[in-house]
Amino acid sequence: MTKLAYYPGCSLHGTSKEMGETAEATAKVFGYELTEIPDWNCCGNTAAHSINRLLADALPANEIAKIKADMQLDTVVVPCAACFSRFMTAKHEMDENPQTRADVELVVGRAVDTDVRVLNLVDMYYDQIGVAAIKDKVRKPLAGLKVAAYYGCLLTRPPKVTLAEDPEYPVHMDEVLAALGAEPVQWSYKTDCCGASLALCEQDMCRDLIRKIVGNARECGADIISAACPLCQVNLDTRQVDIKAADPSWQQVPIVFLSQLVATALGLPASEMGWKRHMVPVPALG
Amino acid sequence: MSPITAELGKRVNAGAETNAFKCYQCKRCSIGCPVASYGDLHPAQVMRAVQLGDIDAAAASKFIWLCTGCETCTTRCPQGIDIAAVMDELRKIAREEDKVNKDTGFANVLKLNLDSMKRWGRMSEIELVALDKLTRPSSLMADVGLGIKMFGKGKLPIIPGRGDRKQMRRIAAEAERIEAERRRMRRVPIVDKEGGE
Repeated sequence: MTKLAYYPGCSLHGTSKEMGETAEATAKVFGYELTEIPDWNCCGNTAAHSINRLLADALPANEIAKIKADMQLDTVVVPCAACFSRFMTAKHEMDENPQTRADVELVVGRAVDTDVRVLNLVDMYYDQIGVAAIKDKVRKPLAGLKVAAYYGCLLTRPPKVTLAEDPEYPVHMDEVLAALGAEPVQWSYKTDCCGASLALCEQDMCRDLIRKIVGNARECGADIISAACPLCQVNLDTRQVDIKAADPSWQQVPIVFLSQLVATALGLPASEMGWKRHMVPVPALG
Repeated sequence: MSPITAELGKRVNAGAETNAFKCYQCKRCSIGCPVASYGDLHPAQVMRAVQLGDIDAAAASKFIWLCTGCETCTTRCPQGIDIAAVMDELRKIAREEDKVNKDTGFANVLKLNLDSMKRWGRMSEIELVALDKLTRPSSLMADVGLGIKMFGKGKLPIIPGRGDRKQMRRIAAEAERIEAERRRMRRVPIVDKEGGE
């Protein structure tokens, strides 16, 4: 087993446990042990960067510092897109601005080695494990399943921070899905924002955004939407219940995690997928 | 119309580490913005208000609290302006100048979110929802049915996960001390409509 540092973040211990569990289980199949950063704290999320920019950099920097110095590792898997974005932003701002680095290191209380690879969920499959290796281990191909790969905002934007190759039409998740035997569909709302950060206060707006995203995926032929961000998944999954209550003609589309689809195709037991935690029922797959 | 001054733009530039004066109103930010049509202003108008020094239009707008932080504007701006960071900086200025828009619940949610992570080391979703309902009357009945369903699915653990609380407290206190000092040094008086300070 090769050890990779692992930062689950608050969501993977809360609303989106099934994302963390399937990410860990699938990594293990390929010989990677995801090892949690000891005593990790919150990455600061949207709240920190809208209130205190230094704190927003210092919180992920404090976790990054533990990876090389305490864990003696050089790669961290950060499946949550929002946490991933905060880790990459902290790295970027420290590397670009010496004053930021000095301030952050003063707050953290030690030097921060930012030469650490940060992988989101798509990166873990695409860059670390690789499409060929995945194809090799597929036991139950997702044949005939049409999937809309939904990236949302923060996996790819802004590209100078995330280093995403094609922020306007990313395809790495699509390629992983194809390796599982599924059929990724072409659609327009791949990287559109679902408004999850405003879910507690702008419900009408969120419902509108979700109708556009899910409606477009359905129109483009998707049976299911694959998410790689816990906030997107929860927002698209739970709000569709609302949308359907107000509009019975609404046809729900199941929202699953990429890691659940990988786990299914690898033949891991359905009981470990967390399907029962979904609000929009997920049909039997694979 | 207040007199045109560069003061707000200078303050925004320093806080957001970008240059808002480079905006030439191509409106790519507004075209790509998923929430441009839901607010009082759209991003390009906010940028113009910053350039003109109109703090009442920019910092007091509802739009800055509708911004989801999706970074489409920052990604597409042909002038390389970090527009999403400008929105963040305006939120900070709105709090400092007591100009938080009254029609937004997001300012409250963000504050409670930060408090929660400072308290536990990690953010507790159920605590955030509960405290928001207690402190913001219009949220009281929102999503109650949905919340109960989510709870039933085990999506809202009652006991907050805990990180290294001592370290979190130390980091937050130190970051707040340094940031406050930096912001105080940058803060320039904002001239109001009457021309006084």
